[in-house]
Amino acid sequence: MSSRLWRYILLRFILTIPMLLILVSLVFFVLRVLPGDPALAILREGASEEQLASFRAAVGLDRPLPVQYVDLVTSLMRFDFGTSMTRRIPVVDEIKTFFPATVELTLFSMLVTGSVGVLGGAFAAQHRKSPADYGIRVASIILYSLPIFWLGLMFQMVFGAQLGWLPVSGRLSPGMTPTETITGLYTLDAILRKDWALLGDALRHLVLPSLTLGLVLAGIFTRLTRANMLDVLEQDFITAGRARGLRERVLVYRHGLRNAFIPIATLLGLQFALLLAGAILTETTFSWSGMGRLIVDRIYDRDFTTIQGSILFFALLVASASLVVDVVYGFLDPRIRY
Amino acid sequence: MAVTTPEALRTQTAAVLDKVGFLRRFLRARIWHGAEWYITVLGGAILVTVAGVTVLAPVLAPHDPNEFIGAQFTVPGGGRQALLARNGEVPIAGDADLAGVVIGVQRNRNGANLAKRLGAEGVRFEDQQALVGGLKAGEVDLILIDESVGQELAAADSQLELVATGLGLRFVLGTDNLGRDITSRLIWGARTVLGVALSSALLASSFGIPLGLLSGFVAGRLDKVLSLTMDSIYSFPGFLLAIAMATMLGPGVINVAIAISVIYIPTFFRVVRGQVLSIKEQLYVEAARSLGARATDILIRYIFPNVIPSVVVVFSLNIADAILTEAGLSFIGLGLPPDVPDWGYDLSKGHQFLIAGYWWMITFPGVLISLVAAGFSLLGEGLSEMLNPRLSET
Repeated sequence: MSSRLWRYILLRFILTIPMLLILVSLVFFVLRVLPGDPALAILREGASEEQLASFRAAVGLDRPLPVQYVDLVTSLMRFDFGTSMTRRIPVVDEIKTFFPATVELTLFSMLVTGSVGVLGGAFAAQHRKSPADYGIRVASIILYSLPIFWLGLMFQMVFGAQLGWLPVSGRLSPGMTPTETITGLYTLDAILRKDWALLGDALRHLVLPSLTLGLVLAGIFTRLTRANMLDVLEQDFITAGRARGLRERVLVYRHGLRNAFIPIATLLGLQFALLLAGAILTETTFSWSGMGRLIVDRIYDRDFTTIQGSILFFALLVASASLVVDVVYGFLDPRIRY
Repeated sequence: MAVTTPEALRTQTAAVLDKVGFLRRFLRARIWHGAEWYITVLGGAILVTVAGVTVLAPVLAPHDPNEFIGAQFTVPGGGRQALLARNGEVPIAGDADLAGVVIGVQRNRNGANLAKRLGAEGVRFEDQQALVGGLKAGEVDLILIDESVGQELAAADSQLELVATGLGLRFVLGTDNLGRDITSRLIWGARTVLGVALSSALLASSFGIPLGLLSGFVAGRLDKVLSLTMDSIYSFPGFLLAIAMATMLGPGVINVAIAISVIYIPTFFRVVRGQVLSIKEQLYVEAARSLGARATDILIRYIFPNVIPSVVVVFSLNIADAILTEAGLSFIGLGLPPDVPDWGYDLSKGHQFLIAGYWWMITFPGVLISLVAAGFSLLGEGLSEMLNPRLSET
């Protein structure tokens, strides 16, 4: 454990702070400074001036903008994401309710993205400039040109409405909702409680949403894997292996893929932002009660504080994810230092 | 090919190129570029077609996209009506005037619309069985019924006679939940989608390119601050940012374009800045500087032209992404005003009626979004490989 590694981690950590501040300022600017009156949006047209004023005072919108900004930053330091304008409960509580569903969805999607993307990309790289390579590349372009929610709609139509194989909405069948949750991830809860019927039901509900989200991202991931594999396959140790008569499959999938794995894992970490954005649309399509649903529902209510809190929560999440990825990368690859 | 020296090949090709026109030169390029050429041309062809549709929308669209012109949920290809009468009791001759004839129609079907348009007072029946029953019982002299159903009935039931077919309007891709013609909505929607995506990419590039040029060229503290800001925005899920912007700005074509453009400013910035950093170290830039060229001249006349190829690629890829973002915003209800035909909005409507099995409402708009987005992606990908072959390999 060298001191240079610690220096790198510390620097990387410190660098996260201005990045977060910039994002907070941006969100603040968009939601508070840009034209648009939250009070009027919530109380609708026709609200009297007194009603508007008292609402603004109640949620703190009447204070000068710099005060509101400082207040926002200081409360974020305490992991306080504000109070919902329409429900008058802390946004953190809302996030606690809705976030586990998003985690569950994204984890299973990453499984799809990872396996499809890595295998597709490695195969394309192995057969470079072959029809299979071009086929995979065009397929991946088409995959990420699909509107994520539309792929979901098609899945719902074919496997849900037409064939009736899989449920098309919600996280569990009606009546299956567990009375208490341990982690909020229904699959994990079911395993912990050894409730196999619940596990089966939760998994059946997960298939279509995670395929939807996972496949669209697999399009991008295939490209990244292919490019990385091409880099690795050009290196000397592969040529050396080939000279010693190793079979091509062993070369590509054992030696090549293992060496391409670190950059690939990093890229999967960087796809996190895309994953979250995709989750919002996937959740809307499948009535999946996660963060995306929370944000979209509160948009209809014009609940600006919840929207702001959720978006800032995502900002924190993305910043921490990229921090973790970089630190792990620093551990794995000694060449990466500032 | 293997024995030909590059020199010989180049002279040969130059000689050939001199003789042929632009089109042939363009077709010949496929030999040089291989698969990338096909990818680019495929993307380009899709886009030229869609652009054509966009321009010709008023000519091509059969109906007003917002008019409730047909019955709700007419199946694709449906809408045409058949006129049935009791066998041997046809009250009219050919396509004679229908005035004074009592016509039976089915409630909320295209027959009811047609009767109203013809000025005939139709007698409404709840369902098909009641309608046919009404005709047989003599309550009405004629009935209007969907063409295919009418033909089947006439063939199967000797009591019924087909008087006329092919009446009324035909909806190639069906109608939506309000009876609007989906074909027309798609054609007009192309205008909206392309308009929003293009203007947001233009907006984003008009901020991103100058900032990138400046940041890369001036370097120093300005570069650090700008880069950190842009990287922060870039790392953030852009769709969320667009959601926040669109929520605040409210519905509207311009507002949505602005909301989307914010996401892509960092993309232009990063690409342009990176290019400037490497170009400004080139010898010819140094030569220009040593000859006393002004900084602005170096930036605009020596560096900027070399940034253009990458910008073109990013521009194309960004439009592809902007189309998906716009559709996503519309899908969650944050897009355009309801009277603007838009593919994403149509999909969100189709989503509500998905379980009922109206597949045409969600299939066609989605296919078009994917097609246009794929067109821009293919064009961008192909161009990127043709313009900077080394860039795209890594």
